[in-house]
Amino acid sequence: MKGTQIGELEELILLTVAALYDDAYGIAIMKDISTRANRKISISTVHAVLKRLEEKGFMSSRYAGATPERGGRRKHLFRVTAAGEKALKQARALRNGLWDEIPKVAFGNG
Amino acid sequence: MANVPPKLIYSLLKRFCDPFLFEGISGDLEELYFIDCQTSVRHAKVNYMLRALRFFRFTFLRKGSILKINLEPMLRNYLNITLRTFKKHKAYVLINVLGLAIGMSAGFLILQYVAYELGYDRSYDRQEDVYRVQSNRYNKGELTTQWAGGAAGAGYHLKENFPEIQDYTQMVKSSAMVSVERQYFKPTFAYYASAPFFEVMGLSLTRGVDSTALKDPFSVVLSQSWADRLFNGENPVGKRIRQNDRNDFTVTGVFEDLPENSHMKFDLLYSFESYVNFTSEEVKTQLDWDGFLNYIRLKPGTNAALLEAKFPALLDRIYETGENYIVNTELEFVLQHVGDIHLTSNYRSEIKPNGSARTTYFLAIIGLFVLFIAWINYINLTTANSMKRAKEVGIRKVLGSFKKQLVGQFMFESAFINVIALSLAAVIVIVCLPYFNRYLGRSGDYLMPEQLWFWLSLSGVFLSGIILSGIYPSLVLSSFKPITTLKGVFSNSEKGNTLRKGLVIFQYLTSIVLITGTYVVYQQLEYLKKQDLGVNIEQTLVLTAPIITTDDSIYVQKLDVFRNELLSYSTINAMTTSTAVPGESPNWNAGGIRLLSQPEEQSNQYRVLGIDNDYIDFYGLEVVAGRQFDQSYGDENNNVLVNEAALSTLGLQQAKDALNKKLFFWEDTFNIVGVVKNYRQESPKSSYDGHIFRYNDWWNDYYSIKMQTSDMPKTIAFLEENWRIVYGEQPLDFYFLDDHYNKQYKAELNFGTIFGLFSILAIIVACLGLFGLASFMTELRLKEVSVRKVLGASFSNLWTMLTKDFLKLVCLAILVSLPLSWWLMDSWLTTFANRIDLSFTLFLVPAALLVIISIATVSYHTIKTALLNPADCLKDE
Repeated sequence: MKGTQIGELEELILLTVAALYDDAYGIAIMKDISTRANRKISISTVHAVLKRLEEKGFMSSRYAGATPERGGRRKHLFRVTAAGEKALKQARALRNGLWDEIPKVAFGNG
Repeated sequence: MANVPPKLIYSLLKRFCDPFLFEGISGDLEELYFIDCQTSVRHAKVNYMLRALRFFRFTFLRKGSILKINLEPMLRNYLNITLRTFKKHKAYVLINVLGLAIGMSAGFLILQYVAYELGYDRSYDRQEDVYRVQSNRYNKGELTTQWAGGAAGAGYHLKENFPEIQDYTQMVKSSAMVSVERQYFKPTFAYYASAPFFEVMGLSLTRGVDSTALKDPFSVVLSQSWADRLFNGENPVGKRIRQNDRNDFTVTGVFEDLPENSHMKFDLLYSFESYVNFTSEEVKTQLDWDGFLNYIRLKPGTNAALLEAKFPALLDRIYETGENYIVNTELEFVLQHVGDIHLTSNYRSEIKPNGSARTTYFLAIIGLFVLFIAWINYINLTTANSMKRAKEVGIRKVLGSFKKQLVGQFMFESAFINVIALSLAAVIVIVCLPYFNRYLGRSGDYLMPEQLWFWLSLSGVFLSGIILSGIYPSLVLSSFKPITTLKGVFSNSEKGNTLRKGLVIFQYLTSIVLITGTYVVYQQLEYLKKQDLGVNIEQTLVLTAPIITTDDSIYVQKLDVFRNELLSYSTINAMTTSTAVPGESPNWNAGGIRLLSQPEEQSNQYRVLGIDNDYIDFYGLEVVAGRQFDQSYGDENNNVLVNEAALSTLGLQQAKDALNKKLFFWEDTFNIVGVVKNYRQESPKSSYDGHIFRYNDWWNDYYSIKMQTSDMPKTIAFLEENWRIVYGEQPLDFYFLDDHYNKQYKAELNFGTIFGLFSILAIIVACLGLFGLASFMTELRLKEVSVRKVLGASFSNLWTMLTKDFLKLVCLAILVSLPLSWWLMDSWLTTFANRIDLSFTLFLVPAALLVIISIATVSYHTIKTALLNPADCLKDE
């Protein structure tokens, strides 16, 4: 189905948001990706991807949890929607399918 | 809380960003900021800004922000109107575009010249701490010689005494010939350089080790182009080069050729230790040997001026201790930043001839003026044309146009014309640039579009062009009152007229100054060339002497064979050998010279020429007292001649007083046997220097040959053949002396031509403007002229009446220009020892020329109007 396909970075961020569950906002996502995947992503990129995913309907967001470190501003918190879950599952199914298809000899250790 | 993130970027972002997203984004930014603050606040601020900057993208843009307003219909309307207007006024558009395009291309050609000149020595790494130690020699407090490469030990002594100096390199020129497998070459830019060369200059080798390549005696590093030349593109490291058929040098490295816009150029660099090996260990520290380039690298952050101020005390101390005792020759060290050398330094033993800051700035100003003239044209023509468009403006206002929209319309037109002109200018520049550069003797590998400044200045010129030429006309046009314009009684405002006249006067002022400048420059050049040189340089061929590769007696024998062969040939009349030929300052400059009867502190510096018996006759020099060198007097080795200019510093009144006086010259005594009349060894630009002629019949640098001009190719072929027979594989290098001599005028000639070229451009643009203006002005007076004609005015009456107005402006401009150009040209002429006097004719000729040109320009319209059939014009009202 067209429109449910997601890019590699989008997938990574969707998964991270799901894993962080109720505390998924910009910085938390950025930090999580940098520790888990050892990958430096700028905060503006994270926000851009989040916005895109929300426009695609894979995420919903709300504002909550103001802290003094943030100058009293609330966090923009994200959560994966059902459509997002579906897109993730599809991506995973695609990969699993491919993994199953790969004959053992393909990697030369056969 | 004192610690807040940068405010400006925050509020910018707030204005830009979608408000819904902004809270999350700014919150995240601030949270990261306080995390960063734990390490460093300054760091945190920078990071905050960098992060925030990256949020300025389309994704986060506020909905309905100003950037999203749809401009297209409005722009399309502007374009439509613009095209319609242009169609209606083709001549006006053409004149405008041509004028602007010429102005812009002139501006650009000059800009690239100036940028090239200013960009010297900015291209290699870490050059900001590199200085050259320039030496000035004084005599009794009077500056006598300025050396680019001065006292040999300058770098050594400075480094020893000042910890601010990180390192120094000592260099001296080599004129040796090199050979690889019996293939001979004569590099022009070969130097001996001490080991820290690469460290000091901030250059590095592409092959070999920077720090050790020049360490050992008899090692040499090559520029890439010379490595290719000598070894046909093979890796030369480890191979051998033979110098002067005597000494073998091992190649220890290759460096990339220095860019063309550097005051330095090196083909080969021998290790300085080799030079020490040829001379003595002393050369490293000596202070009375001149001609050694010393470059130093200062420790970062050192103030060069403060360091320089400490030099005199050091030199005094050195003299007092007496180790480097110099006979009454005061010495001064000056630090020259490498980036400044090209434009400010023109002393003895420069690596390449350098440019001049004066000329460069002068040209920059001319370029700007041409550009301004073009813009002024635009302003003039547009406001003059505005009368025709007054009705359009009136209607538009009645129909509800805001002033802002009208300004928009006119600015759009201005931008449109500027774009067309700019593209035309780009074509002109691209076509002309190679010729322009070739003319200035510049290699073509300097590409403008690769430089950042090019794009910056391009957009600068473009934007300022639109603004300067667009704002005033659009304000004038949009301010018309609809009622007056529609009633038809619209007349030109007094203020607008005055301004327009003022601008025309400015244009003409600039043109006249440029023409006068060109004229004066050429007159001065002609004057210099017509000067009696006192030396005969006609029909003279100069050969660079062969290098001594065998011992001295064979050299002299070979020279005799060569000389006799040549003189036996029918078209060769005479030959002489010398250490210098006319057309340049003699290389040999010696200090500490005085009459034996003079006290030591009156010793002086003189330029010394080594000559043989024939030199004086050969060059047609006149001996005013005593005699010239002559074989019949036997051994001349202890005799010298002096020129008249040397008399006064030798403390002598008259030429005959000098005869048989004893001259003390470097621990030797010479007998003065003759006095030579002053002649122009260098061009008449400079004054006479004191010369001493020493007898020298063995190793001379130049062989001069007088030949008849008939059958030149055959004579030269004969010459080449005999050279090969006597000197074998040594490269033969010759030139005609008059060409060589006239090269001294090259800078002035270039200056004159550029001046001339741009004054022509300026005049063309100014005339275009006057032409356009005349067409509008006469058109406005059509009815008046018709009525006058009906009432009986003659053609000449009418023509005079119409032309007078323009002529008045031109004459006023000429009047104002007189003191300005007088002052400018007078200050230019003071740089010459021999100069023309500024006379009234020098200003009259260009002025008359300009008056004629402008009468011709406006006459097209004035005659057309005066010849008009009055009925055609008066029939419709």
